[in-house]
Amino acid sequence: MKDKQEILKMEICECGEKNVAEAIEIFQNTSLPFKKAKKLVTECNKSCCRAALMKIYDMKQFGRFDYDEIAFVIEQRLERLKRLSEGV
Amino acid sequence: MYNYEWDRLKTWLDQYGAIDESIQSPQEITRLDLSGNNLRSLPESIGILSHLLVLNLSNNKLNSLPEVMKNLSRLSNLDIRRNSFTQLPDILEHIPLRSLNASSNKISDISVLAQCPSLRVLDLSSNLLENIDNVFAPDNELRTLNVSSNYIKDMKNAFSSLTKIVRLNLNGNLITEIPHAIGVLGEIEELDITDNRLQTIDEAFFALDVERVDLSSNRLSSLHLHSLESLEEIILDENTFTSLSIDESFAPYLKEFSCESCGLKEFLLPASNALELLCYSCNEIQTVPDAIEKYVHLSWLDIDGNNIEDLPDSLANLSYLNTLYVNGNPLSEKSKKIIAIRNPEICDMNMKTGITIQKAKESDLSQMAELLSVLFAIETDFDIDFDKQYAGIKQLYEYEGVDLLVAKDEYIVVGMITMQRLISSAEGGFVGQIEDLVVKEEYRKMGIGSRLINKMRSIAQEYGYKRIQLAADVDNANALQFYNRRGFHKTHLSIYHYIVS
Repeated sequence: MKDKQEILKMEICECGEKNVAEAIEIFQNTSLPFKKAKKLVTECNKSCCRAALMKIYDMKQFGRFDYDEIAFVIEQRLERLKRLSEGV
Repeated sequence: MYNYEWDRLKTWLDQYGAIDESIQSPQEITRLDLSGNNLRSLPESIGILSHLLVLNLSNNKLNSLPEVMKNLSRLSNLDIRRNSFTQLPDILEHIPLRSLNASSNKISDISVLAQCPSLRVLDLSSNLLENIDNVFAPDNELRTLNVSSNYIKDMKNAFSSLTKIVRLNLNGNLITEIPHAIGVLGEIEELDITDNRLQTIDEAFFALDVERVDLSSNRLSSLHLHSLESLEEIILDENTFTSLSIDESFAPYLKEFSCESCGLKEFLLPASNALELLCYSCNEIQTVPDAIEKYVHLSWLDIDGNNIEDLPDSLANLSYLNTLYVNGNPLSEKSKKIIAIRNPEICDMNMKTGITIQKAKESDLSQMAELLSVLFAIETDFDIDFDKQYAGIKQLYEYEGVDLLVAKDEYIVVGMITMQRLISSAEGGFVGQIEDLVVKEEYRKMGIGSRLINKMRSIAQEYGYKRIQLAADVDNANALQFYNRRGFHKTHLSIYHYIVS
């Protein structure tokens, strides 16, 4: 299991080249609704990292970050991408 | 009489803190939470919990359930998400489950569901399902089904066994079409097919009684919206339409319509006069039609990131419009005046950028003391006295166990919040007492208060505080609403003051 510092360094968005710590920082520094706040992180309109970012955004709204959950969602997405690239 | 099995099970449950000491017999256990214990198996003796209604086994390492669980004849709610199951356990056919959460496993075999007709709520999201054809019992009771983030490619033969479904989530699959068979979903209210590969939608879809539909992030290029008489909300974001049209018959009671990042050149007007939210953000629209004034209930308009220069005068007549996003348009001065006349509560054009939330420095204290005057002008229990305020804020700054945050627009303090560490005998540890949350009048409605409190809540989490608490003036309706919306709940306690000197 990864510790908090490792999770904060995990890349969450390839398009915007942001890690978890940066995404949290961006969300904490905006009051925009999710759809707009997401673009501050991703700098694009794609939905590939939407699920993970939405978790972080919701956690920001509730004021409590579950880092294990964040790591799980990111790893799950990477596994999915791998499976799709293998032609599932 | 001594019950050996119960004694063993009780000892096992005790080590996970799953039951309290007052429990004397297995029949007293109706709810059991064994989540997050790295369990690889369950003891056979779990079968004696004949009165168990709810069992949470999430976040473990289980890949099977013991056969004896068939004795759990009252179990109606089972949570096995985030385990290591590759198939839904056969044992489920013997349990009268009403709700099953099996998300985030590696399940590809769900054939047992054909023997589970009483299920009403089923979550199979984030698994390895490639199809759900003919897997449900013929006369099942399923109302809510979540199969998001799987690998389902088509639903042609799946809908026929979902005739009672009310909420269906197909988000994040590989579906390319909404087939004719969808017409059998006579009870459907919510349908989420975002992030698939949809290219075509059969006409049968438009005859549904569905209320909320999300079709965003698909590959739709051509769509003629019509009928859908019960529809209240539709999201079409992130499709690249070459042709999108809306019939007069489309969704007469529609309240929310969103079509963001769809390459639209024209501002389409849904027929419904009940519209409350309209989003055409990030398109190529140049003109907002004068007829927008027909949406007398419109409270949220998002047209940022287009090519709009002129807004219609009629926009100023939309008296319910309190949220407006217009940045990223080459707006004329006249358009800006129209916005100023309407003066929506939240408007990105008026939002100041570059406001930062940071820990207070000694040089900020004087401005913070002044800012407290704004707060004390509202709170009738306090008098404004700069010297006292400065002395208090300075003492807080120097005191251990106190956090002070400020919102700054360059060098100006425009908002602040403080949190003091207290010890709670009720919680058995430290709690945070939040005070002095205030934002300058001209910087309100920009989310600065939210940012301050969110940041302070994450600081409290870092410290491991058990709770954060605050007091708010009973006459400050804005503050009470603000805290309620952010998850604070009102307690039964009242605050009393006794002046010592």
